[in-house]
Amino acid sequence: MKESHPTIMSGPPGTPGPAPGWSDGEVNTSADSLALIEGEGGQAPPQRPEVAPTRRRRVPLILLALLAPTALFALALTILPLGYAVVTSFRSFRFGQPVAFIGLQNYFDLFRDSNFYRSLGTTLTFTIVATTVEFILGMMLALLLKEEFRWQGLIRSCLMIPMVVAPVVVGIVWRLLYSSDVGLLSYGVQLMMGHPISVLSNPSLALPAIILVDIWEWTPFMFLILLAGIQSLPQEPFEAARVDGAGPWSTFRYLTLPMLRPVIVVAVLIRALDAFTVFDQVFVLTQGGPGMATEVSTLMVYKTAFRFSQFGYAAAMAVTLLILVLFLSAAISRSLQGQVRQV
Amino acid sequence: MGSTALVQFVPGCGRTTSTTGRGKITFGSYADPAQNVLKEVFLPEFEKKTGIETEWVEADFSSWFQKAVNDGQTQAGAFDIYVLDDLWMPRFAGAGYLANLEELGFHPDTDFVESALDLGYWPPKTGPRQPGIDPKARPTLFGLPLIGDVQLLFYRNDVYASGPPATWDDVLRMARERSDPTKRQYGWVTRGVKGNPVVNSYFVLLHAFGGQMFEGDWKVAFNSPAAIEALEFYLRLLDYAPPGVAEFDSDQEGQTMLQGNAFAATMWTGWCGQVDDPNKSKVAGRISFSVPPKKVKQVAKLGLFMTGIAASAPNKQGALEFFNWFHSSAVQTQFARAGGTPCKVSAFKDEDSCRKSRWLPETLKALSIGLPSPRTADWYKIEDILGTALNQTLIEKGNAKRRLDAAASEATAFLKNAGYSAG
Repeated sequence: MKESHPTIMSGPPGTPGPAPGWSDGEVNTSADSLALIEGEGGQAPPQRPEVAPTRRRRVPLILLALLAPTALFALALTILPLGYAVVTSFRSFRFGQPVAFIGLQNYFDLFRDSNFYRSLGTTLTFTIVATTVEFILGMMLALLLKEEFRWQGLIRSCLMIPMVVAPVVVGIVWRLLYSSDVGLLSYGVQLMMGHPISVLSNPSLALPAIILVDIWEWTPFMFLILLAGIQSLPQEPFEAARVDGAGPWSTFRYLTLPMLRPVIVVAVLIRALDAFTVFDQVFVLTQGGPGMATEVSTLMVYKTAFRFSQFGYAAAMAVTLLILVLFLSAAISRSLQGQVRQV
Repeated sequence: MGSTALVQFVPGCGRTTSTTGRGKITFGSYADPAQNVLKEVFLPEFEKKTGIETEWVEADFSSWFQKAVNDGQTQAGAFDIYVLDDLWMPRFAGAGYLANLEELGFHPDTDFVESALDLGYWPPKTGPRQPGIDPKARPTLFGLPLIGDVQLLFYRNDVYASGPPATWDDVLRMARERSDPTKRQYGWVTRGVKGNPVVNSYFVLLHAFGGQMFEGDWKVAFNSPAAIEALEFYLRLLDYAPPGVAEFDSDQEGQTMLQGNAFAATMWTGWCGQVDDPNKSKVAGRISFSVPPKKVKQVAKLGLFMTGIAASAPNKQGALEFFNWFHSSAVQTQFARAGGTPCKVSAFKDEDSCRKSRWLPETLKALSIGLPSPRTADWYKIEDILGTALNQTLIEKGNAKRRLDAAASEATAFLKNAGYSAG
């Protein structure tokens, strides 16, 4: 809107900055306001501040009427289920039926539940390691494949394949690869070391094994976003840097990385939030085992609700996780805004 | 398959109008090959006899549980008959998702295998009752057994040449003598993956060693001295099991037996039909069956496929007609002759059936000494706690007492919080 009505932001001819009586950054887009400004040679009438608020009151009503169906739809699909989950978290259940309102008891139980903290720790480890490695690999691939070369299209297409396979299928394929009796990995290790390896039943290896699956599947996503970001960067600064004799590392460190920051933060945010809610791969590969080694939070919520039929406790977990995710995304968003201002 | 419709699970596809005028019944079930004979032979036969159309809707185990619970909770009426794991009976009957069969007019005869039929009653006929259930309430029939599934000892008759092992010590001794990992020959194979699989494997040993899950009024007992001894024995057997059994589920356990890599395992009767098929087994004819061995007593683990009529079933009378027909002794005998695992004693004793399915006599014995999982809707949670501890013990190959004590504390805290007296 600002770009389409540049005269609104201008004061009298020859006077830079906003017109008198308008606060900085405030924009009145109504046609009458435009006429008032332009019809009087840019001289702002003294009554304008009183007229504008009257007009403003009318416009939101129309907007509200137009937005109402969408807003109601969004309310029905998002806010109401969320509200229901919150209400459910205040109840206890027996045979899957609510039997009593117990206030915050589910939350008190949750905060004393060591398994919940353990699963949260596992989830955070998974999220941080997977997102970091995917970012580094995605960036390396994007830098490698940003230039035009022969077979570029084919290579890019091949890199996309893991991303388009259903996560459950990915889980099954990797379960076969990791299997200690018929798995390719175990067979290879046996050839080299003389004994098979049990990846999924080893508490030290199971979580890294699942992280590896996630990296295999989602690095292409990171690559795709970063490549698009790199290709959209203006070329002039790079040409200037080349003329000034900057090397590849300096160019990357002082030009590519800072200019790409908004894209990086968006990519990392999307992947981090997605990794935080990982479920399919864990469900198919380990069911949270061995022991509690890969019991992520979403799996714990799923089991509590659908196996143990403790819907109230599961809802308390889900609400708590939602608040944590909101904090996480708010922190990253704030970081994004800061970075954008810097750029 | 006649007019029987076998469909993968598509929500909302359940109800269509019958073209025969006698209505239609819709079955909802988890997918399992043990039901193939029922689906492919007996449902078309039922349609022919009664003019009632049938539709079979199935999903994988976990998905079907959720869909059935949703149908029961919302009383949507998408199904007439639920196929249920026997573990689910407390949950479904307790929540009112199932119709009272006695009120509908079904009266079981004495030919039913008693232990199998008992699983259809709620509240349970024996044992403590979970909180919220009137201790004086009369047990009522809400479900019927569909497939008489139970754990048997599968053993290699060329290794155990003089017959099945009588005791668990015999199993250990043979495993010690004949195992040869360099030739992928193992004396024992088991399911070790956390949760239900490892608990079911341990269950037989626990009871054979004189232990039990609970004592009296839900006092946790799976960390008793007998229970610890059973788990330590389990660990000793593990020395002669393939590497990685802590990640084995039923499919890997069964394949290890069928590939001829193990001499013994306690497995569900659903595997019996495959052992003599040379296309599926490398040791066709060399696997036999018996009730699990004993230590201080002999116990088998029940794991029946149950059925119940949905409380919201649109065609309860049609469903009842199916129950009356399928659970008649004559049809049960035909079912056994066709390769199914029946739930009537006369069908188990039918000579033709026993010739065709040589595991039936042992299955009947195992059913008669079989024990179910504890009858509470909260068993899944306890099973998860215990299953995690057992899985950890298998991985660590030790710490049996420490792990069982920790699991018992956690289970007791959960039970007390849920209103059980828990000792």
